[in-house]
Amino acid sequence: MHPVLRHLLDTDFADLKGSKISGQIALTDELINLGLHDLLGQLTKAAAPASDSPAPASAPKPTGPALPDPKLLLQKLQVAHLKYRTEAGRTILEIEAGV
Amino acid sequence: MPATALSPLTALLKDPGGYLEGTDLQITLPLTRALLNEVLAARPAHPPVKELYLDPEENNRFRVHLAANAPVLGTVSRRITLVPGPAVTFPAQPWLTFSIVDGLKFLDKPLINLLQGQVEARLPSGIVINSKFIRIHLPALMTYLGYQQLVPLLHSLRVSSEANRLLLHVHLRADSTLTA
Repeated sequence: MHPVLRHLLDTDFADLKGSKISGQIALTDELINLGLHDLLGQLTKAAAPASDSPAPASAPKPTGPALPDPKLLLQKLQVAHLKYRTEAGRTILEIEAGV
Repeated sequence: MPATALSPLTALLKDPGGYLEGTDLQITLPLTRALLNEVLAARPAHPPVKELYLDPEENNRFRVHLAANAPVLGTVSRRITLVPGPAVTFPAQPWLTFSIVDGLKFLDKPLINLLQGQVEARLPSGIVINSKFIRIHLPALMTYLGYQQLVPLLHSLRVSSEANRLLLHVHLRADSTLTA
């Protein structure tokens, strides 16, 4: 693990306290559709029936320290405004949040 | 949907301005002294520079503590006070500037030459160090780091300092006039 990420985890992200984000994130329909295509591909792959060939060796488990639960990180986020809407050709997420 | 559709992440990195058109975000990112110095401590080995750490102060100024092996002079230690300059705006004002207001002495030309030599040997053109300022051409640096597609999104970037932390003020914007 990179030492800076290690430091952030060890200090419970206290060094980023006061971070703020506000404005809107716009995602075009094309990007959303690429995401759906990607998701569909992953679901289809996961649902494929097992063949008669021997199972491949399991991938080696990571040896580094586990990353924290994303829920714990999200708990540090204070969301003042979050609104979803759409307009022609895109999906908009309005956000005002801080750490 | 084409059979060879890009992954969303690949598409985003290829044309962030196009896929995020209409995005408009203001971000304030405070970086504490501890975090900044963790970042500096994680830098690649840099033999002539023996020590390097930052000390953000109030009144929009910060100190750089530097110890380096300079030719003839041997190990030289300096505490240089820097004041962040005006915001970088794309494309009108691409230079991120820090004025050197204190800490360098009249006979520090060998130290400056050493630092400039190290910068030229390791980083792209567009980073200038002299006795009065440090200047960074941000689009050139981002391009060198492989993030040239993100340059048009950077509407503005400003650095400021307060006690114990530097603040990055970033305005990201994607619109068709910038990415066409």
